[in-house]
Amino acid sequence: MLGIVNVWYSVNGERLGTYMGHTGAVWCVDADWDTKHVLTGSADNSCRLWDCETGKQLALLKTNSAVRTCGFDFGGNIIMFSTDKQMGYQCFVSFFDLRDPSQIDNNEPYMKIPCNDSKITSAVWGPLGECIIAGHEGGELNQYSAKSGEVLVNVKEHSRQINDIQLSRDMTMFVTASKDNTAKLFDSTTLEHQKTFRTERPVNSAALSPNYDHVVLGGGQEAMDVTTTSTRIGKFEARFFHLAFEEEFGRVKGHFGPINSVAFHPDGKSYSSGGEDGYVRIHYFDPQYFEFEFEA
Amino acid sequence: MQDAENVAAPEAAEQRAEPGQQQEQQPAAEPPPGEEPPRPGGPGAQEAASGEDAAAEVEAGPGPDVPAEPAAGREEAAGAAPGSSPPPPEESLAPVPAAGEQPGGAAEDGGADEPSFSDPEDFVDDVSEEELLGDILKDRPQEADGIDSVIVVDNVPQVGPDRLEKLKNVIHKIFSKFGKITNDFYPEEDGKTKGYIFLEYASPAHAVDAVKNADGYKLDKQHTFRVNLFTDFDKYMTISDEWDIPEKQPFKDLGNLRYWLEEAECRDQYSVIFESGDRTSIFWNDVKDPVSIEERARWTETYVRWSPKGTYLATFHQRGIALWGGEKFKQIQRFSHQGVQLIDFSPCERYLVTFSPLMDTQDDPQAIIIWDILTGQKKRGFHCESSAHWPIFKWSHDGKFFARMTLDTLSIYETPSMGLLDKKSLKISGIKDFSWSPGGNIIAFWVPEDKDIPARVTLMQLPTRQEIRVRNLFNVVDCKLHWQKNGDYLCVKVDRTPKGTQGVVTNFEIFRMREKQVPVDVVEMKETIIAFAWEPNGSKFAVLHGEAPRISVSFYHVKSNGKIELIKMFDKQQANTIFWSPQGQFVVLAGLRSMNGALAFVDTSDCTVMNIAEHYMASDVEWDPTGRYVVTSVSWWSHKVDNAYWLWTFQGRLLQKNNKDRFCQLLWRPRPPTLLSQEQIKQIKKDLKKYSKIFEQKDRLSQSKASKELVERRRTMMEDFRKYRKMAQELYMEQKNERLELRGGVDTDELDSNVDDWEEETIEFFVTEEIIPLGNQE
Repeated sequence: MLGIVNVWYSVNGERLGTYMGHTGAVWCVDADWDTKHVLTGSADNSCRLWDCETGKQLALLKTNSAVRTCGFDFGGNIIMFSTDKQMGYQCFVSFFDLRDPSQIDNNEPYMKIPCNDSKITSAVWGPLGECIIAGHEGGELNQYSAKSGEVLVNVKEHSRQINDIQLSRDMTMFVTASKDNTAKLFDSTTLEHQKTFRTERPVNSAALSPNYDHVVLGGGQEAMDVTTTSTRIGKFEARFFHLAFEEEFGRVKGHFGPINSVAFHPDGKSYSSGGEDGYVRIHYFDPQYFEFEFEA
Repeated sequence: MQDAENVAAPEAAEQRAEPGQQQEQQPAAEPPPGEEPPRPGGPGAQEAASGEDAAAEVEAGPGPDVPAEPAAGREEAAGAAPGSSPPPPEESLAPVPAAGEQPGGAAEDGGADEPSFSDPEDFVDDVSEEELLGDILKDRPQEADGIDSVIVVDNVPQVGPDRLEKLKNVIHKIFSKFGKITNDFYPEEDGKTKGYIFLEYASPAHAVDAVKNADGYKLDKQHTFRVNLFTDFDKYMTISDEWDIPEKQPFKDLGNLRYWLEEAECRDQYSVIFESGDRTSIFWNDVKDPVSIEERARWTETYVRWSPKGTYLATFHQRGIALWGGEKFKQIQRFSHQGVQLIDFSPCERYLVTFSPLMDTQDDPQAIIIWDILTGQKKRGFHCESSAHWPIFKWSHDGKFFARMTLDTLSIYETPSMGLLDKKSLKISGIKDFSWSPGGNIIAFWVPEDKDIPARVTLMQLPTRQEIRVRNLFNVVDCKLHWQKNGDYLCVKVDRTPKGTQGVVTNFEIFRMREKQVPVDVVEMKETIIAFAWEPNGSKFAVLHGEAPRISVSFYHVKSNGKIELIKMFDKQQANTIFWSPQGQFVVLAGLRSMNGALAFVDTSDCTVMNIAEHYMASDVEWDPTGRYVVTSVSWWSHKVDNAYWLWTFQGRLLQKNNKDRFCQLLWRPRPPTLLSQEQIKQIKKDLKKYSKIFEQKDRLSQSKASKELVERRRTMMEDFRKYRKMAQELYMEQKNERLELRGGVDTDELDSNVDDWEEETIEFFVTEEIIPLGNQE
């Protein structure tokens, strides 16, 4: 299954279709707002554009190193992806305007931002597609202009690698997940730090509920860090925190390897998690979840 | 510390000692950071070390001949900085200056020709041998006149020529035990010997040996030998008769070193080492949250220790020990002992014993040093081959005596003189272990079987050396001595292999110390003993026995008539260590490390298990000095993840989980013994109801205050968050048009913004549902 991107029904886990072509691990997937296109980046040193409905490959962009992150801007016209610092190649963020086919045809991005100090480990588009927000290996957060490529804002609130960045539904804020055992909430425009959610394990992914002040964190002890990884010691649980109080109010067990990715259903009534154990789990919330309130 | 009474204690001690052991692995030769290494003197060498440029070299060169100068400067630089070029052989003996400090020299501008190592003709060597290699010269072999092999023996019988031969024979027999006697001299006067003789040995070591062992030798009733080194006469003759009055030291007011006992809420303090040893904190223990008092980076290099009454906090450093105390934890005293690894306080807090493997030399014993804490002075040094059984010196409960066991010998020293009690060690052939009573100056020791002589446990009163009880034991494999904290009882755990049976049988021999002639009772145990511990201040003891996974705990009671009664046994326990509350009655049975940190909280007054809990992978359990709280912890020293300490009540109710990054060690600050009399304590216990009402009210108040505070805090957090969200949403609304524009006029702000465009599609699924309740935290 290496290198294949799948689409599933969330109701029963039935597979709807695949995007076949990549020859290495796929690190990142994004779809544009009207789900016409899908963008994927892979360790096979390529970034590919697909027709969402038919699964046909529309474009193949070759790179020098693995593609770590990719994404469509708000309007779905500009794509960006970042490549790893690897095999003597630097870390770059490349920008292509899909409205200009020559850029794709010639594999000529209209802008390429080099990133020398600390490689990009996660990145998303900012609101309105004016900038991208990138998290780095050393824990820094940078906001790069999508027009000039200059650094608009730089903050360092994490002490270790930022594994994931996810925006809120309205894109006004985002949550970061870091190897330093915390997840943090930031304002998308100012990059001002708002909240911190602490755990005892590296956090690999964090997602914001679309309709509640809740955040879900997934992570766990890296397998290479412990000699005997019992699920108990690994703490491979999805953990729910209240956004304003920073207090944990629930945990969901089930994975027997670190959780690599979490996401809320757009309706906020279920969430899914993907783990190193090879499973994607979809959980529907019970009624108590919706009734639960902190005393305040 | 509790585990002093546990059988598993050595393991715990090893754990504690770990950081010290790590220290040992450091190369001994490496100079500690910040300390200037010794440097060879001489103006030339200094110049070369400080300046690399040609100018400095020119200055250094004394001659007028310009081309020759750099060579001269280089030559000296070579002597000062090894590594740049091969230095002359005798100079290589000089103390090594910081290597790499001076990479220049010949290598730098050389490369062309072989550098010249010979001195220029007019070079004057003004560096004396003493300056260059003083430390080596000190050890230079010296011409021996042989007098240090000579001993003087006094109190020898005075005899005429007729019996001289016989005397010589006797003397020879006694003294040739220590080495070959090469010469003897019996001074005579009026046809009789003078009563003292001179003997010369083949080597000074034999002479020293003779002095050590033959001094005080009783030849007969009238004659007890006094043996001294001949050189000592010389030494003590030259001591000045005049005595200088020591200068009066100004009094340093350290404030109230016991201020923490006056805390209104009677809270206790504890020290916490975390970030793998980089940071050390002192906290007030509080039911709600620990209150930080002091936090310092690199306060200690390995670990810390509290003094037995809690007055001082000792920190470990490469160069020695520092003691801290008072309200601000100011430094009170320092003890310089290079490479110190282990320490021990006397129970009275007057003396500190330090151990370092680095400093010992033949003629200057410095492996173990005993210090006076108040003055900071070194009282005495001792040799020590191995620190495996720390503490090497065991203190009597009042700090009046300390004792050490060596092969067939028990040496008891007294304070403050630090000299041997009665100037003589005890010869106890085969002594295996000894232990002071914590309740009086009594030593218990045991010796194993020797042919037909049975093994025996002896109780000896000190300083009289009177044996108050001897108990003979047969077929003994091993004995362990366990004193009850007040010294009321002694339990000797005896492992035996009785004839006719297979395997090892364990007996507990219980000595009732407070009764006449110290009666002994025996409890036979059928299973392997994992741990034993006396109830402090009580007459109960707990035993863990059996083989994993069938481990049981038994509680026994020593009744006043001497009968030992089994109160209760619980089977199927997950435990390997017993931790009694320092006040007795309550006990925590813990399955540390390999047993995953299982915990059982037991009240032994009625033998009920109050709670069963778990602190996963816990490595330590520490009761607070009052017995109100107990802490379990996962130390980074034994386990690398989930390092934390948890606070429980004595009943096993979990109060706090304190996660600390790379947490290493928590130690409660001990309290001095109570000043209340037995009657007063009884009265308090009687009036407990009265007090408990007040306390309960206090607790309720603080609880409602706490929950109010929490709600208040949440409220302000929510308000702030709402404010922020409002601002963000306003901005969001302002950008609505831009969003619409970017998505071709389609409003995607709400999920159901475009209901009109939706198409109905019916898909059938088979769904299996699994319900996982949310919010069931561990």
